[in-house]
Amino acid sequence: MTRKLIAALAVLALLGGCSTGTAGANEPVKLMVFGSPDELAAYRTLMQAYKDKTGKSVQLVEASDRKDLITRLSTSIAGGEPPDLFLMNYRFYGQFAAKNALEPLADRLTASSVIKAGDYYPVAMEAFQWQGRQLCLPQNVSSLVVYYNKTLFAKYGVPEPKPGWTWTDFLGTALLLTRDAAGNPVRTSGESEGAPAKASVYGVGIEPSIIRLAPFAWSNGGEILDSEQKPTRFTLDSPAALEALKNLVDLRLAYGVTPTDQEVEAEADEARFANWRLGMLLSSRRSTTALRKVKDFEWDVAALPVYKKPAGILHSDAYCMTKGSKNKDAAWRFIEYAMSAEGQKMFTATGRTVPSHIEASKSDAFLDGKTPKNAQVFLDGIPTIRRVPTISTWPEIEDVTYGILENAMFRGDRLDTVIADIDKQTRPIFARAQQ
Amino acid sequence: MAGITLTDVHAAHGVNGVSLSVGEDELLTVLGPSGAGKTTLLRLIAGLAPVTRGTIHIGGRDVTALRPGLRNVSMVFQSYALFPHLSVADNIAFGLIVKDVPRAVIRERVAAAAASVGCEQLLARKPSQLSGGERQRVALARALVREPDVFLLDEPMSNLDIELRVETRAEIKALHQRAGGTMVHVTHDQTEALVLGDRVAVMRDGAIEQIGSPEEIWRQPATTFVARFVGSPAMNLLPGDGPVRPRDLFPEPGWLIGFRAEAVLLGHTGDPLGTVTRVDVVGEDSYVYLSVSGSPVVARVRTSEKPRIGAAIRVGVRREDVHLFDAATGRRT
Amino acid sequence: MKRSPWLMLAPYVFGLVALVLVPFAVTVVLAFTEYDLINPPVWVGWANFTELFDDPIFRMALGNSLWFAAIAVPLRLLIALGLALLLHRRSWFVGSARTAAALPAAVPEIAYGLLWLWLFNPVHGPINQLLAGPSALLGRTPPAWLTLPNDARAGIIIMSLFTVGEMFVILVAARQALPRDVYELAAIEDATGWDIFRRITLPLMAPALGLLLVRDTIMSFQLSFTPALVVTNGGPPPYATTYLSLFVYRNAFEYLRYGFAAAATLVMLALTVVAVLLQVRLLRRARL
Repeated sequence: MTRKLIAALAVLALLGGCSTGTAGANEPVKLMVFGSPDELAAYRTLMQAYKDKTGKSVQLVEASDRKDLITRLSTSIAGGEPPDLFLMNYRFYGQFAAKNALEPLADRLTASSVIKAGDYYPVAMEAFQWQGRQLCLPQNVSSLVVYYNKTLFAKYGVPEPKPGWTWTDFLGTALLLTRDAAGNPVRTSGESEGAPAKASVYGVGIEPSIIRLAPFAWSNGGEILDSEQKPTRFTLDSPAALEALKNLVDLRLAYGVTPTDQEVEAEADEARFANWRLGMLLSSRRSTTALRKVKDFEWDVAALPVYKKPAGILHSDAYCMTKGSKNKDAAWRFIEYAMSAEGQKMFTATGRTVPSHIEASKSDAFLDGKTPKNAQVFLDGIPTIRRVPTISTWPEIEDVTYGILENAMFRGDRLDTVIADIDKQTRPIFARAQQ
Repeated sequence: MAGITLTDVHAAHGVNGVSLSVGEDELLTVLGPSGAGKTTLLRLIAGLAPVTRGTIHIGGRDVTALRPGLRNVSMVFQSYALFPHLSVADNIAFGLIVKDVPRAVIRERVAAAAASVGCEQLLARKPSQLSGGERQRVALARALVREPDVFLLDEPMSNLDIELRVETRAEIKALHQRAGGTMVHVTHDQTEALVLGDRVAVMRDGAIEQIGSPEEIWRQPATTFVARFVGSPAMNLLPGDGPVRPRDLFPEPGWLIGFRAEAVLLGHTGDPLGTVTRVDVVGEDSYVYLSVSGSPVVARVRTSEKPRIGAAIRVGVRREDVHLFDAATGRRT
Repeated sequence: MKRSPWLMLAPYVFGLVALVLVPFAVTVVLAFTEYDLINPPVWVGWANFTELFDDPIFRMALGNSLWFAAIAVPLRLLIALGLALLLHRRSWFVGSARTAAALPAAVPEIAYGLLWLWLFNPVHGPINQLLAGPSALLGRTPPAWLTLPNDARAGIIIMSLFTVGEMFVILVAARQALPRDVYELAAIEDATGWDIFRRITLPLMAPALGLLLVRDTIMSFQLSFTPALVVTNGGPPPYATTYLSLFVYRNAFEYLRYGFAAAATLVMLALTVVAVLLQVRLLRRARL
């Protein structure tokens, strides 16, 4: 809801005729990002530090959300006045990479005296390599974790997640946390008799998306796609992936430990968690800044539950330079600063990210003792992190699958139809990425 | 049958205590300057404007509180109020259509009404294809077709040119004589009022100054207002002790004496001298404007005998041609 | 001094050419290309159109748009007309009522969408809190505006019904321009309200209504855009409120398939033209 609001306000501003002006060698470097006010504040902190150090200023160009950023980026590239830099998730930079709109950073990185490739987590670096070349430089590396409300766990006497916990443990915990207004455990779905009861606290918030499903399918020894490099179709019909999918939708359909679609529309999961109405929340590091504002309960993070082997999914954003930038050297100097140990420590102190810089991530700047106390969980997961492919049509794939998975989870569509639908609708999109 | 009786009728827009009655089959013309309340009076009878005090009876029935549709009146508007999207036939038939009269009957009656005003050849046309006179006929036919108790005509000829007006005037009179019914006809044209009306009601400031036959209105104006409003040029009105008066009349103070232009005697010895200031030639006759000791007097003379401007002429009037009014009330004494 | 009419028209013609005709021509050309806004367009012939008609999402969006136009446009016209006929007279409350009727149309679209996002909130929204009681009496659950396809479609239509302010203002003006004595004549003839509406008001206002019908049909493709973007985000799945305009927007600006989107735009334009021609023919026949 908040994100929609911000998006809408930004569109208003856009319609109001705000323009970004013209770029030139003497102009400040422009960095286009999107994010919540907390996240934007984090970028401003970094830019101020850069200015204090070098006297050079960087201008923040704010988009309202990911889709708005893509719109504005593509139109500004088409208009010949792109921002010098932008920050984008590896799942979405593919369309710009494929269209040759990005300035490869490999040579500059090799030549740099400030930063070097080996300082960063390889899993993040690899995500931004396109046809073997380093295109963008990852600013952060986060895995998916379980945020949980410690105070609520204590209140209902539910044991906190332990390292290596299984999906069954996870489901059991969620069931114990799902309570009615009187605080009694309640079943809101599945085999319960009569009309489904109303829960005032749900066990867990998880969105029915392919990137939430993927780590569990992997953990179960399955694959979601037929190829990591050149996927042509989803393989959700494989037994391991199917089991993970079934368990995911059963959280709502069979056990009712996640909010209904109506409730999700009424209150987004993150807000629900902050309002004591959700015991656990699956999210990346991203939620930390917002949740640090919560004062009336204690919370922490835990690793994802495991099927057969630990697996995580990469969340990583990188600094990318546009080919059309007129200010590449200055832009590179800002990247060097932002990517250096100093810049990474400075930025991570805002709470927003897990630094991609290995040393920074192990420093006190990240493990600073603030909530979440178990921040180490983010780092422990990195070795088992995998990623979805970086293909140019991935944004469409995510949109198409989300609608189908939503209906699977909330409407109870039969899984064989769901899988067939996903397959039928995404094949042409995968094919288009191969062209 | 019909007949209208108004008893001490008051209304918001300038009708202040009008009482009058119109007989069955009588044609009453209401004459007055604009703003006198003539149209409002008509709208009160039709029920289009509310009466604040007093009663209205039509055919002995108290209709004061009835809505227009229940009064069985029909009205011809100054603008004719034709429906632009309907053909002439449908315009005429409107009142019958909304009353669900059978189609065959409607066709018959529309044809008859159209024939009675001579517009049967126009039935298929749209109002925009008609001339002003033709529109007026259609409006009349529409008023006739329902055979109402009362016809109300609001200046139906004010939009016609003068030639057509004279012709139409005669037709309306003939129509009334043929069709009968109670008719109230509002006009600001005194000739029209006098020629058409069985009786004429002269209105001023929302009240009736005088009501009577055209001859009475002309010969016995009840007030100075009627005296001056009816007749062209307006009646001469001079103070009783003014320069021009019959020799054998010794008016009391505060009287006004009035006499028409045709009653003025010129050139008789013993009368006071006036100076000719203007001469208007109107065909055979001319109007001579004089100033007699500062008082304006107009006289009618034969054009062949008209004086020249600046000439000094003696001005007199005879006793029997003089109307006497009380200057304070304006009423005839 | 004599001025050439062309000179007087120049600013308009310039605007028309620069803002309408040129973009239109560009759209027509782009519809036959693959263009991502970044690399130069590549000619692909009819490929975009072939893909469009094979695309289930496009077909759904097309259907959604047609249904929306077929339901929302007549309803909007009816409501605007009803309000105009109720509120064309002067009376003590009419001023504020007119303002209330016209106001929603003056709210910026996005803000209007956000307002409805709150109104439609399934749990905390005032609409469903109001409907909770009556729904329970009928043994039903209140509408799920954001999660059930048909409820969401109804929601988008409902949103569009409150923005008839401009039509309302035009119709009030049209009604006030009708001659008063025609109505007085009808009153004298004792015509009923229905007869007056059917035989006088409606035919006399027909030109204004016809114009608004045509215009609103053209507008209907845009009308559904912001609500679908802001309130339902094209959902609930599968694409219940993905209208052509949103389909075009997504493909052009989110998936960077500008050529494909241009082809969809052309289809949308062609449909609009067909709808308008049909209406013009109907209206013309009605007038004869």
